[in-house]
Amino acid sequence: MIHSLFLINCSGDIFLEKHWKSVVSQSVCDYFFEAQEKAADVENVPPVISTPHHYLISIYRDKLFFVSVIQTEVPPLFVIEFLHRVADTFQDYFGECSEAAIKDNVVIVYELLEEMLDNGFPLATESNILKELIKPPTILRSVVNSITGSSNVGDTLPTGQLSNIPWRRAGVKYTNNEAYFDVVEEIDAIIDKSDDVSFHPCIRFKRWESERVLSFIPPDGNFRLISYRVSSQNLVAIPVYVKHCISFKENSSCGRFDITIGPKQNMGKTIEGITVTVHMPKVVLNMNLTPTQGSYTFDPVTKVLTWDVGKITPQKLPSLKGLVNLQSGAPKPEENPSLNIQFKIQQLAISGLKVNRLDMYGEKYKPFKGVKYVTKAGKFQVRT
Amino acid sequence: MPYLGSEDVVKELKKALCNPHIQADRLRYRNVIQRVIRHMTQGLDMSGVFMEMVKASATVDIVQKKLVYLYMCTYAPLKPDLALLAINTLCKDCSDPNPMVRGLALRSMCSLRMPGVQEYIQQPILNGLRDKASYVRRVAVLGCAKMHNLHGDSEVDGALVNELYSLLRDQDPIVVVNCLRSLEEILRQEGGVVINKPIAHHLLNRMPKLDQWGQAEVLNFLLRYEPRSEEELFDILNLLDSFLKSSSPGVVMGATKLFLILAKKFPHVQTDVLVQVKGPLLAACSSESRELCFAALCHVRQILHSLPGHFSSHYKKFFCSYSEPHYIKLQKVEVLCELVNDENVQQVLEELRGYCTDVSADFAQAAIFAIGGIARTYTDQCVQILTELLGLRQEHITTVVVQTFRDLVWLCPQCTEAVCQALPGCEENIQDSEGKQALIWLLGVHGERIPNAPYVLEDFVENVKSETFPAVTMELLTALLRLFLSRPAECQDTLGRLLHYCIEEEKNMAVRDRGLFYYRLLLAGIDEVKRILCSPKSDPSLGLLEDQAERPVNSWASDFNTLVPVYGKARWATISKYQGAEHRGPELPDTASFATSGPLIPEENKERVQELPDSGALVLVPNCQLTAEYFEKTWFSLKVAHQQVFPWRGAVHPDTLQMALQVVNIQTIAMSRAGAHPWKAYLSAQDDTGCLFLTELLLESENSEMQISVKQNEPRTETLNSFISVLETVFGTIGDIKS
Repeated sequence: MIHSLFLINCSGDIFLEKHWKSVVSQSVCDYFFEAQEKAADVENVPPVISTPHHYLISIYRDKLFFVSVIQTEVPPLFVIEFLHRVADTFQDYFGECSEAAIKDNVVIVYELLEEMLDNGFPLATESNILKELIKPPTILRSVVNSITGSSNVGDTLPTGQLSNIPWRRAGVKYTNNEAYFDVVEEIDAIIDKSDDVSFHPCIRFKRWESERVLSFIPPDGNFRLISYRVSSQNLVAIPVYVKHCISFKENSSCGRFDITIGPKQNMGKTIEGITVTVHMPKVVLNMNLTPTQGSYTFDPVTKVLTWDVGKITPQKLPSLKGLVNLQSGAPKPEENPSLNIQFKIQQLAISGLKVNRLDMYGEKYKPFKGVKYVTKAGKFQVRT
Repeated sequence: MPYLGSEDVVKELKKALCNPHIQADRLRYRNVIQRVIRHMTQGLDMSGVFMEMVKASATVDIVQKKLVYLYMCTYAPLKPDLALLAINTLCKDCSDPNPMVRGLALRSMCSLRMPGVQEYIQQPILNGLRDKASYVRRVAVLGCAKMHNLHGDSEVDGALVNELYSLLRDQDPIVVVNCLRSLEEILRQEGGVVINKPIAHHLLNRMPKLDQWGQAEVLNFLLRYEPRSEEELFDILNLLDSFLKSSSPGVVMGATKLFLILAKKFPHVQTDVLVQVKGPLLAACSSESRELCFAALCHVRQILHSLPGHFSSHYKKFFCSYSEPHYIKLQKVEVLCELVNDENVQQVLEELRGYCTDVSADFAQAAIFAIGGIARTYTDQCVQILTELLGLRQEHITTVVVQTFRDLVWLCPQCTEAVCQALPGCEENIQDSEGKQALIWLLGVHGERIPNAPYVLEDFVENVKSETFPAVTMELLTALLRLFLSRPAECQDTLGRLLHYCIEEEKNMAVRDRGLFYYRLLLAGIDEVKRILCSPKSDPSLGLLEDQAERPVNSWASDFNTLVPVYGKARWATISKYQGAEHRGPELPDTASFATSGPLIPEENKERVQELPDSGALVLVPNCQLTAEYFEKTWFSLKVAHQQVFPWRGAVHPDTLQMALQVVNIQTIAMSRAGAHPWKAYLSAQDDTGCLFLTELLLESENSEMQISVKQNEPRTETLNSFISVLETVFGTIGDIKS
């Protein structure tokens, strides 16, 4: 299914390759580079490219391209999902999915790729099973290893391989048993009309359908239990508002820019981690602004204004105002730019969703249980 | 570290690997090996230390073993004789007490890819299939496929295949899936693994135990199973229900496709499924992974072909945000264009209008073309927006708007007046060939309604010497001659100058010939010019061809969850044609080359064709001329009486087809141009009793099938059958000519 994998950085160096069937020459990536050149911006390289003898399906993650070489007809979503799983695994093992981390751990990377695919088919991809096969690098472990000479590889067969539940190995034993739930909600500014839910395969679907209870054998480690979407009618409120006044004068080389952010209905919780990004029109040369809090940058090449606000204190609302310098003689911009806003509210699920009960059966010990709520901005755009 | 050429590196590493002191120190030894691997992964040729690495495989250290195996698999094809030495160690490791070592050794052995290795791996694989550790069985099962590939597909080992089929009952879910994968490769020549009733139901029952990859693949394999009864079919659909709600989009898509294929005779079930997966699909469209969004959007477009209203209430999901990559924005614009309806048209147009001034010229132009597409239904609003865009006086915007106008007046003549009013002034902001051609065409055809048309064309004539595109000059000739017919006084002088230039000075032969032709045509008299040049100014019936009429789900169900929706069927056909030679499967025959010269219908075929009307009870009357409007009205009022597909290879040559159809008294109402995708044609015929046969031909792409839908105004099966056989013969005849 997946013939080969190439890892390519932003400057176009192939810094790692792995082949599961015959070796495919690096020159196949020339087609990818061609597409990259055509796309101008790295972000715009199409995920599926055809070459005379192969298809290249790629993902772009953390400034790296994972380019897979395919020779037969495949379901595209399957390959894309798998590539993301590979990147997730690197992230999980090395703390970050960067060129440096992959190069530093190249041997582990190869071991991982060897276990994740055989003959081009996905095999072990669950984090907890992989960790049994290949131990992740830690500073302590590498010190211990260098003293004792022991290896990063488990030398017994992973027990999980015998478990009939693919997402959980058998006979897990810890001194502390913990089950924490993070309820993370993201707000899309354009909110959809219907509610939808999708489930991790561990959930007993029939029981959910009949009793509306999420019953499951939990995977060992982090995982996404359910994802859901809530309709706009059920939403309490959009937690922030923006007052904006952006204007460009006709036949003049300057404009006015003024935005203020305030909390709407946030139930006593602080809104924090606010960042505003604005893609200014082409004719904007520079911006001369004063923020009442935080700091701002304007990149005259990409025309992107970024304002790192921090958190909102209701007594003094953060604002950013000043002048915009335009290219003289150019016509005034047709449209005002949209504002993209990022924020976070701890200890609040905006939909009002709560974990009602968390019961564990079949174990004698008492595990630690906990639920944490976070609301974040998803695709939150304010049009001006 | 000083830079060393690969030769120096090899030399240095070789020395280190041979050093007995290093060999004695486990850690240092392993470090040297790691360095070899590191260089290997960077593409340096490390085959020089093969011998030393083989020696290093004799160790109890698993990490070291793994690294050496990895090395051997990479370089064995280059050093086959040396690699044979390693086989001994590997064989020994295949019976190691540690299942992990057994698995590793077996996997590496199967991946050696060098001639002669087959005889050594056969026994370890057979042992591996019966190993008590599932880890080893998984490796051994895939090893069977690798071994088969090494044999060069010569013969299929029946006993092995049977063993693999029986391992489908293995208790380990990954072994089960690997068996399917392996059998599929081994039996490729015979059409792949056979899914019979017991296997299908066994797999269905094991589904919940599989991981997402296994589920997605099993769903794909189940596509080839045909349930025996309706009852069984619905049992299967019930079992599949929960997979439509999986958290993995790949599984959701796989399950959806299986539903669509299984329920091919139950359109309402198909619609239900598409309603059920609407949520997951929309979620995928706004997924964190841009690539998933893209693939999901491509599938949304496919669904919209059959259910145009399906996503209409969710139109805001498809609004673009500036940070999205291009390929997603372009898909979203297409989706918006297709889901527009009376309720959302205002908002969608407003949104698209915003994109028209995007920083990226490509995206802006795509948005303008999209508005042009919507204009076919909501003409007034769109023409107004497009006219406003002209006011921006931006070159890249103006050219596309004018091209959109040209296509629009051809399809929707009611907007001609508005377009003509918008045109003055455009000429200042158009530089490219396409835009100029569109403007000149509009000025020529509708010049009598545009007061300054002759003067704009005159400007073009003034600058004709510096015109770099011959196509523009050609268009200018035709336009000016046309305008001359309606406004002779204003054009005569300019036309004279242009003709003089084209005949006397122009270097391009095609332009010169066109000039000469028009000159001679003028000599033949003005009536003759009118007869030749005054063709219709619009053709609303073309809209019927371009129409996004609802296509049955079954027409695309088999392409769902493949690469076809990503590429579009036509492009996919071209791509896979190239790749046909690569596959080991049944070879695609070469596309028949198309003879464009010589008589279109050879003599003997002509006779065959002419004999046709007498061959049955059916007599088609000649000269049954229907107007396009009448045809359209009748077409929509009738039900499809017969549907059939004919095998078809290559592109359609409309002239040939039209001629052949005329010979048997079948008239062509409308036909796509050659090479269009999808290619469509509408035909009509009448028999001597007055019964009408209306026919739609649809060719989705090259190298597929010609779909034929026939409607009849009087239900008569006999004549219908004769009519179909007439069509069949015509297609057969044309096929003969082509091959």
